[in-house]
Amino acid sequence: MVSYSKETQTPADTQTHTQAKPGCCVCVRACVAEEEEEEEEMADPKPAEDSQEEKADEEEKQEEVLPKELTEEEKMHLLNSEEFMAFFDRGSRIVERALSERVDVCFDYSGRDLEDREGEMQAGAKMSLSRVFSDERWSKNRVVTCLDWSPQYPELLVASYNSNDDAPHEPDGVALVWNMKYKKTTPEYTFHCQSAVMSAAFARFHPNLIVGGTYSGQIVLWDNRSNKRTSVQRTPLSASAHTHPVYCVNVVGTENAHNLISISTDGKMCSWNLDMLSQPQDSLELVFKQSKAVAVTSMAFPLGDVNNFVVGSEDGSLYTACRHGSKAGISDVFDGHHGPVTGLSCHSAGGPVDFSHLFISASFDWTVKLWTTKSTRPLYLFEDSCDYVYDVMWSPTHPALFACVDGSGRLDLWNLNNDTEVPSASVVVDGSPALNRVRWAHSGREIATGDSDGQVLVYDVGEKICVPKADEWTRFVHTLVEINENRDEGDELAAQRLLA
Amino acid sequence: MSAEVEETLKRIQTHKGVIGTIVVNAEGIPIRTTLDNSTTVQYAGLLHQLTMKARSTVRDLDPQNDLTFLRIRSKKHEIMVAPDKEYLLIVIQNPSE
Repeated sequence: MVSYSKETQTPADTQTHTQAKPGCCVCVRACVAEEEEEEEEMADPKPAEDSQEEKADEEEKQEEVLPKELTEEEKMHLLNSEEFMAFFDRGSRIVERALSERVDVCFDYSGRDLEDREGEMQAGAKMSLSRVFSDERWSKNRVVTCLDWSPQYPELLVASYNSNDDAPHEPDGVALVWNMKYKKTTPEYTFHCQSAVMSAAFARFHPNLIVGGTYSGQIVLWDNRSNKRTSVQRTPLSASAHTHPVYCVNVVGTENAHNLISISTDGKMCSWNLDMLSQPQDSLELVFKQSKAVAVTSMAFPLGDVNNFVVGSEDGSLYTACRHGSKAGISDVFDGHHGPVTGLSCHSAGGPVDFSHLFISASFDWTVKLWTTKSTRPLYLFEDSCDYVYDVMWSPTHPALFACVDGSGRLDLWNLNNDTEVPSASVVVDGSPALNRVRWAHSGREIATGDSDGQVLVYDVGEKICVPKADEWTRFVHTLVEINENRDEGDELAAQRLLA
Repeated sequence: MSAEVEETLKRIQTHKGVIGTIVVNAEGIPIRTTLDNSTTVQYAGLLHQLTMKARSTVRDLDPQNDLTFLRIRSKKHEIMVAPDKEYLLIVIQNPSE
């Protein structure tokens, strides 16, 4: 017992106290009380108190002395000693077992404790950076031009890059396949081609193929079964195919009847069979009113539709078009934007209510607009950004959620059921590079964005935001009704002002 | 330091959610850490005092008893301390990851 009291007192002497002086004294008093007989308890505290005061003085002096640090040698000596090995063996065993226990006993199903934390943990809980993919040799100094998640393997992501001005001898076009599942920081597959790759996609019904649309107008096909890094098939550089940059490639259709659709900036739309890229199966010139060729920069197919689609052009206009039928080509024009259209996305979250007539567009005019194919006037204007908005995409699982990225490095998530004036979550990428592309993963839980420095950043989105509750679809119906009413009111006021 | 100890420490540090690992000696001085200096000194000092207090509490309640493991669960983290006569192994984990 005497040895025990010594044990607690010695560390107390050499330790630097920030507070806990009373604490130590309590220790001493408690153990002294333990040791002595109960009758002596009354008498003892007095001498104990005196020694405590002495201790207090000693400790005060100790406080002024700087904390004793050990040299590297001393540390290594300690770490190599027998006692340390014995301690570490026991201690690490227990700690590893404890770490592996995943049970959170404090979880509150009512969500009350989350409400308390909302103020401070807002941005953190909503979006957190999960991975950053960048390759010294292949992605540095290049801009990420396109992203696509694999439909077969949810952990694979293809990113295409344009040319590296600092390395003229390296190939101009690069496409890298990144793997989210493993911690390795190098790409799963590296592909290149002679011209800068402007768009890339996993071929939907061919798990081994990756399609790329390039600046020269060539469409290249890479196969991960081949050992080469160059493409296995290429479309010809002739007038029958494309001679202008191809910004949009997409595989549409079903397992048995599908085509690769590509549109270049001279308005030419070609549909190809992936087995034979030597000539297009079908081609169509997209012209508006028989004269103006449409310089297509983005294209989107509504969910489930293989014939009708929407295109956005360099001059800011948006058009609907269809591939087959008597009226093949451009059908309707929308009011559009004041600057080139950079991104288009059709509503794709399937659910009890069908919203496939909705689509959103992003443009250099700092805005994102919400449209419906049923009307040429925009439904809503999102003007929260102060820079070119480079891309926008609907969530594949949540009906009222979409993401957009702009040139100031901001990634915004808008939940229209919560608020239509400001984004529900926003994050600025370190270093504020311009973010060129944004793509939701098929699960709707992760978001990938590519920036102008060749980095691909993958963010985990908090459950509260990205997982839709059962009533999200009906709430979105109400939100749309409100939006429609506001739009009609706005138009009436404008009309009245014109008349007056 | 033996390769086994190194390997175990690395394994613990790379475990899901682990923010930091600190080994502290009997005097509260950190001898191995994966966090920056100021944070380490803070954690080492405070947890050493707390462990001493916890140990004395356990011994006071039953002199034949002794402290074997200390776990502090807070809103943001979980701090685990494996104490010993001479050393402390401290691991800080974010359990929600």
